[in-house]
Amino acid sequence: MRLTRRRFLKGSAAAGGLFLAGRLFSSGLEMLEAASQEPASPLIEEWVPTTCWIGKQDCGILARRINGRVVKLEGHPAHPRNRGTLCPKGMAQIIALYDPNRVKAPLIRTNEKGIHGRWRQASWEEALRLVAAKIREVYDRDPSLILWQKGRSKGEAFYDEAFVKVLKATKLGHGAFCSDAGYRACEYTLGLSSVLHPDFRYTRYLLAWGWNLTNAGGNKLCWITWPQQFLAARERGMKVVLIDPRLRGGGPFVDEWLPIRPGTDLAMALAFCHVLLEAHHVDTDYLKRYTNAPFLVKEDGFFLRIDGKEQIWDLVTNRPQPYDAPGVDPALEGVYEVEGQRVRPAFQVFKEHVAPCTPEWAAEICGIPAEQIRRIALELGENAMIGSTIRVDGLDLPYRPVSVMAYHMAQQELGFQAIRAILMVFMLLGAVGAVGGPMVDFTWKIHPNFEKLDQIRIQDPPYNFYLKDSPFFPINSASPAVMAKVMQNPEKYQVEKVPEIAIVHMTNPVIAYGSQPDIMEAYKRFKFVVVISPWLSETADLFADVVLPAATLEKYEGPYSIADGQVDGVALRLPVMEPLFQSRGEIESYMDLCEHLGLLYGEGGYLDELNKALKLKAPYLLPLDRKPSVREIFDRWAKSQGIEEGIAYFEKHGVRVKGPIPVKSRYGYAVEPPFGGIRHRFYGESLLRYREEMKARGVDELYWRDYTPLPTWRPPTMESSPPEYRFYLISYKMIEFKQSRSSFIPLLAELAPRQRLDIHPRTARELGIADGEEVWVESHHALTGETRRVRVRVHYTEGIRPDMVGLPHGYGLWTHPWAQGQGPAASALFFTGEGYVGCTADQSFHVKVRIYKA
Amino acid sequence: MPRYGMVIDLSRCMGCRACMEACKIENNTPQAIFWMYVFRFEEGEFPNVRQWFMPRPCMHCDNAPCVKVCPVGARYKREDGLVATDWERCIGCRYCEVACPYGVNYFNWKRPDRNYYLDWNDPDLKPITGGMVPPYRNPDLDRPYGEERRRIAGGGHIKGVIEKCTFCVHRVEQGKPPACVANCPVQALLFGDLDDPDSVVSRVLRQKPHFRLLEELGTEPRVFYVGGKPPGPETRQIEPVRARM
Repeated sequence: MRLTRRRFLKGSAAAGGLFLAGRLFSSGLEMLEAASQEPASPLIEEWVPTTCWIGKQDCGILARRINGRVVKLEGHPAHPRNRGTLCPKGMAQIIALYDPNRVKAPLIRTNEKGIHGRWRQASWEEALRLVAAKIREVYDRDPSLILWQKGRSKGEAFYDEAFVKVLKATKLGHGAFCSDAGYRACEYTLGLSSVLHPDFRYTRYLLAWGWNLTNAGGNKLCWITWPQQFLAARERGMKVVLIDPRLRGGGPFVDEWLPIRPGTDLAMALAFCHVLLEAHHVDTDYLKRYTNAPFLVKEDGFFLRIDGKEQIWDLVTNRPQPYDAPGVDPALEGVYEVEGQRVRPAFQVFKEHVAPCTPEWAAEICGIPAEQIRRIALELGENAMIGSTIRVDGLDLPYRPVSVMAYHMAQQELGFQAIRAILMVFMLLGAVGAVGGPMVDFTWKIHPNFEKLDQIRIQDPPYNFYLKDSPFFPINSASPAVMAKVMQNPEKYQVEKVPEIAIVHMTNPVIAYGSQPDIMEAYKRFKFVVVISPWLSETADLFADVVLPAATLEKYEGPYSIADGQVDGVALRLPVMEPLFQSRGEIESYMDLCEHLGLLYGEGGYLDELNKALKLKAPYLLPLDRKPSVREIFDRWAKSQGIEEGIAYFEKHGVRVKGPIPVKSRYGYAVEPPFGGIRHRFYGESLLRYREEMKARGVDELYWRDYTPLPTWRPPTMESSPPEYRFYLISYKMIEFKQSRSSFIPLLAELAPRQRLDIHPRTARELGIADGEEVWVESHHALTGETRRVRVRVHYTEGIRPDMVGLPHGYGLWTHPWAQGQGPAASALFFTGEGYVGCTADQSFHVKVRIYKA
Repeated sequence: MPRYGMVIDLSRCMGCRACMEACKIENNTPQAIFWMYVFRFEEGEFPNVRQWFMPRPCMHCDNAPCVKVCPVGARYKREDGLVATDWERCIGCRYCEVACPYGVNYFNWKRPDRNYYLDWNDPDLKPITGGMVPPYRNPDLDRPYGEERRRIAGGGHIKGVIEKCTFCVHRVEQGKPPACVANCPVQALLFGDLDDPDSVVSRVLRQKPHFRLLEELGTEPRVFYVGGKPPGPETRQIEPVRARM
């Protein structure tokens, strides 16, 4: 492009051509008086603290209010997560507050479901009475058939805990479309909840593994905090290696880009392990003391146990000893014989396991040159500085300044094991729990799932509608897409009862969840659907019986953590104005609904459950015989927290900063005892146990094949699609959108008004497709042969592998005037169920497609 | 008298376009008008590709071509460095738009009340917003500013009148930075007095190599870029905003 005057730097172009016909001197020149509508009386300016309503990190906001009208949202300067700033969504959400397209009053459907809804407005009283009657009927029969489906919960104590508990409902979230495969891998392996992020104050070498850092948050936070910490680390000299099929997420912040083939991350991680072992970049001290790597494994893959205790080979006494016997020096390598059985330390098993996983082997699979894989692995090994320590707040701790951000990339067919494989890399380096190494949660708190996921008891049928404790997905992320599959064919999964009622809370499953056709089929089968949303979502349009209008920023919600990984504290959402139209905050709606259900008052009622969920203390417990205002509940909560002023503290300050997260609870090595006293599951023996039981119960190989004690590569199912489906499709998130609610914001739709298929120009030209031209993208189900297609415009970019295409989320909506005509939803192309979910029932966002001119 | 300028650090910009939104809300600009624009750029060929981002406000040139061509003195240079547009005086001839090499001027082709994203005349909304268009209308924009007491904040948004970035004169006169600068999540935008050697902008310019856009034209922009290089013949724009009118 030539940098010529005018046209280039204009940047933005209006879709219909910038220079519309118009008169130079407009006769319609308005009177200036008309433009100044503000009353002459003095303006009353107020700043109301609140929190963002869009994303997951609940950034602090100060709302500027003039004469009671909110005119701007600014970042709260004291909030550690956003420090006085907002992302484009946070800034633009003000227009959503006033949007006349919001659902203004409760709506009751007047036509059949499955087609665009027709509605009549109802009073809250009538709508709630109807909803309560429908719920009550199922509640009395089998409350587990009431599904509470959330997208995001902005007040877990009120919703996920008290409401779900009092209703005895089944809760499903969005995690199986987000990052849950990674959660399960980290819970199972390290005992920590969340996925992986760096220790930005100390990390010096970072694998940005599928980290879309200029568009999305990553582990735990949705955006601003990580970019701020990332840039500070970068200015200190941190090296960044991006492992991602697309460059765009890394922007200019990438020292080296490994454009990996989609779905092959596990293979690359194993090759890294191969090189690290070969070069002796191994922290044997960590592996011996804090993992099960020295446990002796028998030929059948199970641990050798004597008197029920796992054994190691003691190099001091040269014989097997219980792993926790005092004074032992466990062997990591070698082959031994115990009572006539050949046994090897799990580490030795792993070494043999990755022996064939050379960089050359991975190069073929991942589409990255072998020498580059080898060099990155060696750089990791050298930068890990194994054996070094650093003094932090007076404590001498192991220092391993190599880390990884890995989050949404977990949602691939091999996701659980891919994250396990990445963990193996950092376990070899001894970086887990060390200063500068990979972090999972903000504190080193052992999650109950560490034990639970190791002790799953597969039950006899029938199974529940998301297949909990079944031989299909013993480790189970509770996927609404799997539920959708089950609802269409319960017999196949030995399920007797499918859900009857859906309460849809702050989510739009029809657009936002994987495999749109399956989700639609499922929602058709619900007997009754109530959607609680500020907008008539697409899910409401097609399937709701009743829509309850929710407020956006005009309500109380919370409490929210303000932790940024370094500082801890708490904040609340406070209403920036009275709820618009007839909308209400969800907390109020649930209280009223419980009242109609007869489940509000008394012991075991919603108020009682709230006392527990909010950890209220006497004398601030809610009385069980009277409905409080939401403000009063938060006042009691604040006082229970030891905040004397109660809610007034938050009305004044918005944010309560508790102070730095202490080193002693931050690093695995610093907590007492180290790592919470557990041994990391380097070797996943229970995975093998599940595999054997799944086999014994006769389920198909495709369910049990990834239940291996060590991460094992296999080509993903999509690879068996016919060769004409020659492209990989991946989806991704843009900075302009987060979940479907941001697609209802016209200011954001204006920034990114049209769906686009990212494609390499060389690939496109081979197919005779020009930049901006419309194509069909047709996906293929490798097991069933089903195809799905959408029509979309292509967008040329060099920053993508030529053998793939990319399609962002945030499109395909139709109920809001600004969402219409933007192009298709990415979820329309992905499949779910066998082959397209992982072994933990987590959705994969990979599929093979073909592309042809429209 | 301070003489203001902006420094944009390309080594920090994440291309998020939050500055564009902060500008739009603060200044109440109508649909398809972006006083601040963030380019997303790409250079090179797979796999040796570089992608980067470049915010572009009005350059507030010291030798501003737009000022020279304005036949009615609506576009003028203030002593504090800001290039202002008196929207009471603008006759909509668009000479400034033609003269400006940076493409920062936007002409109001439509009545703004028909060009603000949604229909704000909704009867249920009017009791809440008092009929304000847009409902987040910023009252600071209506007042006159500067010693001249001219209407130069917010652009007026009047059909037939030109508008552009004001450096948020209504905020600057209160001692606040422009809305884009105040909101940048990664502090890629800096603002201050270029005549004050201790200001953050002066310090950064002393420390880092910098450039200005189309410097060779002699426009003397007051917006400086550090941490990168200007777009060249090899630079392609990706993800342009194609806004609806």
